[in-house]
Amino acid sequence: MQTPVQMYRIGRKKNRFKGAGFFLKVGTLLFLIATPFLFPSFKIVDLAMNIIIFSVLVASFDILLGYTGILSFAHGMFFGIGAYCVALLMGQYGGPSYVHLALGLLLGVVAAAALALVISFLSLRVKAIFFAMVTLAIAELAIVLATKLSGFTGGEDGISLNMPGIFAVSHHMGHFLGIEIGGRIFTYYLILFGSVILFFLMIRFTHSPLGRVLQAIRDNTRRAEALGYKTFIFQVVSILFGCVVASIAGAFYAMWVGYVNPESCLGVMTIMLDVLLMVIIGGMGTLYGAIVGAGLLKTAQTFLPDLQHLAKIVFPHVAFIHQFLERWLLLFGVLFILVVILFPKGVIGSMREYMARRT
Amino acid sequence: MPEAILKAQGVHTYIGQHHILQGVSFEARSDAVTVLVGRNGAGKSTSLKTIMGLLPPSQGSITFRAAEIQRKKPYEIARLGIGFVPEDMGIFSNLTVEENMKVAMLREDRETLRRLEAITDLLPDLGKFWTANAGNLSGGQKQMLAIARAIVNETALLLIDEPSKGLAPIIVEALIDTINRIKEHSVVLLVEQNFHMAGAVGDYFYILDDGLVVRGGDMEELAGDEALKSRYLGISAAVEK
Amino acid sequence: MAGALAAFKKRSGEVSLAAAVVLFMLPLLWIPGKIYLTLTIAGLAMGMLIFLVASGLSIIFGLMDVLNFAHGALFAWGAYTGFSVFKLMRVWVGADSVLKNVGVFSVAVAAALLAVAVLGMLLERGLIRRVYGSHLFQILITFGAMVVLVELIRVFWGPNDEVIVQPLTFRGSWDMQGVIVERYRVLCIMIGLLVYAMIQIVLKKTKLGTIVRAGVENREMVQAMGHNISRIFTGVFAAGAALAALGGVAMSVFDRQVYPDMGGTYLLFAFIVVIIGGLGSITGSLLGALIVGLAYNYVAYLVPWAAAAVNVLIMIIILLIRPTGLFPAGG
Repeated sequence: MQTPVQMYRIGRKKNRFKGAGFFLKVGTLLFLIATPFLFPSFKIVDLAMNIIIFSVLVASFDILLGYTGILSFAHGMFFGIGAYCVALLMGQYGGPSYVHLALGLLLGVVAAAALALVISFLSLRVKAIFFAMVTLAIAELAIVLATKLSGFTGGEDGISLNMPGIFAVSHHMGHFLGIEIGGRIFTYYLILFGSVILFFLMIRFTHSPLGRVLQAIRDNTRRAEALGYKTFIFQVVSILFGCVVASIAGAFYAMWVGYVNPESCLGVMTIMLDVLLMVIIGGMGTLYGAIVGAGLLKTAQTFLPDLQHLAKIVFPHVAFIHQFLERWLLLFGVLFILVVILFPKGVIGSMREYMARRT
Repeated sequence: MPEAILKAQGVHTYIGQHHILQGVSFEARSDAVTVLVGRNGAGKSTSLKTIMGLLPPSQGSITFRAAEIQRKKPYEIARLGIGFVPEDMGIFSNLTVEENMKVAMLREDRETLRRLEAITDLLPDLGKFWTANAGNLSGGQKQMLAIARAIVNETALLLIDEPSKGLAPIIVEALIDTINRIKEHSVVLLVEQNFHMAGAVGDYFYILDDGLVVRGGDMEELAGDEALKSRYLGISAAVEK
Repeated sequence: MAGALAAFKKRSGEVSLAAAVVLFMLPLLWIPGKIYLTLTIAGLAMGMLIFLVASGLSIIFGLMDVLNFAHGALFAWGAYTGFSVFKLMRVWVGADSVLKNVGVFSVAVAAALLAVAVLGMLLERGLIRRVYGSHLFQILITFGAMVVLVELIRVFWGPNDEVIVQPLTFRGSWDMQGVIVERYRVLCIMIGLLVYAMIQIVLKKTKLGTIVRAGVENREMVQAMGHNISRIFTGVFAAGAALAALGGVAMSVFDRQVYPDMGGTYLLFAFIVVIIGGLGSITGSLLGALIVGLAYNYVAYLVPWAAAAVNVLIMIIILLIRPTGLFPAGG
């Protein structure tokens, strides 16, 4: 005789290949795979790659925020650590080779894991608000160190790097289906492949028994403890996982962009604000919201210059609008506040709530 | 029939998802002490908090001196002349006794100062520990301070939540004395689980059970009815002798 | 042994203080005495300015349980308001007259206090009110407010660093037998002490201050005793904001510059101070700020790149051994 919970789970498993959700997910994946061929322009491919990388980053942040209930301002730092480790081993202290790439990735993972352990212990010691402040302080410290220890990290000027072998930008292999096949395309598919795996792992994590316990802990820590779960172990594991994935996302970023510096990889106003925006717009605690958030925000950022240009044409004399659009950070800040107040559940969150109400 | 200074009708209150008060109706008659009795979790404290505006009722009405107060904020309700002594007494431990009283006094006019003097006469310990930290007072003294704070203004209705909780019997006697003195000036609505206390000061009673008022009447009626007491007040009533 | 430990815990505030004093004598091993004294004055001055920012943050959290990430932006707005006053009254700034110099400084401070208090009120009523009770959303919303406020500085005043001219009276230093003591630094220390004293007086000797202290302990009870706690909150928030603004003006004259992101660095210092000193404790904020200021200056002299790191390190150590700070009870 099966319990209601078992029947529910079996029913869910059976239905996971039907329904709108499934088609959307598969559709998005196919779209991303086809993008280089649908849009030969590098600008679009670059946009797609950024969306993919940031989806992974934001989803890993969601594991901390939405599933474990922890707000860490240091997440951008982990991204930067992954990026810098790859850059250091492929640029500053090594060269473009597969061995160095693998070492760089590994180093990033190890460094991230070590720091994540420190952070997780801190999170258990102090209340959420202190934790947020401390992670902010640590993140800022990381930027200062990266800038000041320029002998080691390249300082404000950053580090350039090149991919090895067939992934090198200079590698050309001719044409296929109307687009140029070379290092860029291979790198794109490599990172896409890696990202899909990471994303898949994150989904499995949240659906696993561990993930479910985490949600119980997030919703009511005392009750979870009373039920016998050693909550701190779960929290530590979850934070470790989220931070390590963030670091790998950073490594991907370094691999694609070929250049790292404190502002673009560690910056709180750059990376952290973007991540926060994306997770709020997409929806906390939904993982897929990360894709939506990353998609919307990165697209907006990419086409903002065009929007500014358009505004100059349509409203040539209204200087205020030009000023306003120029300060895109201001726009994002205002947008962020509005979303937090009006749509705290984000796109996916609101959709899910709507669907739940209909049934 | 003496008029009711406070009327609650059909009040529903939720705490989160829990439906604590499921349509309570009761009155506090002027110049008398009304006691709300009942088991733990019946909704007694919630009733007082709802009157005080600390918990918003989802339905029903509460009138004080014929004016509706269920939508008012706590500070407005306090200023209408309702004093509140919560279950945990709400003493400001980091402040002195004097400072506690200062926060309580809404106006420092002659009337209030006269009342303050009368209170310190009634409760001499307060005068003795005037400049001491309120956190250092004994349980009984804290309870006296909490009551003093609630009556130093022109209080027409005094709400007290389980004043005898955790106090030694001899202190409870002093408390009974104090409340009997207070009822000469204010109407008192008391929540108690200790039946001895309830019987000693109360004139009228209401029994709350599972968020509803199940019985009400004169205190003598309840005092004599053993079956009623054990049914709604638990075993403690039988032990109360 | 157990008795000794218990006694230690009871007087731990004093013990930590004694330990701190000993610790701060350590640099004398590496730094020559006269320079040590100069650095000490510099550290105390910097500490006082940080105290101004941190005190507001601490009170707001202590009373309203709100962590205001936009506090640094309010600091910057104060500084920029002062900058505008200095620009408008530049004749007085450059004048060789104590009266005019002190006058223009006072006007700058008054303008900053007023402007940012209003800004603080708007912020509290418009945004903070909506998120009482949820720390997560407070953090998010005030973070967003910080971004917007800093960007608005760029819109109204331009994105560049601007120079603040130090009025003549405030420039220069005294030479006390080889020890260089900068005039303005001494002024900062005096301002800090004055503000500390004023806050303590208001909190301990006025009725409003007593109500605020009662509210820190039990917000609900204060409401039930007839006080409109929301209006008090708005007032306290505005006061905390004004304190940050004062810090901003003083700091801008100290540094001789203003720049849009100046709030960020000092917000961080303020956080560190509040963690070290204990949330809700004014005395804790003062001592924590002095510790941070001194540590920064000593380390900056010995190992320049480690100056920022040292304070983060202290913060982490305090968090690990005494998460509630050195003076948790408040006062």
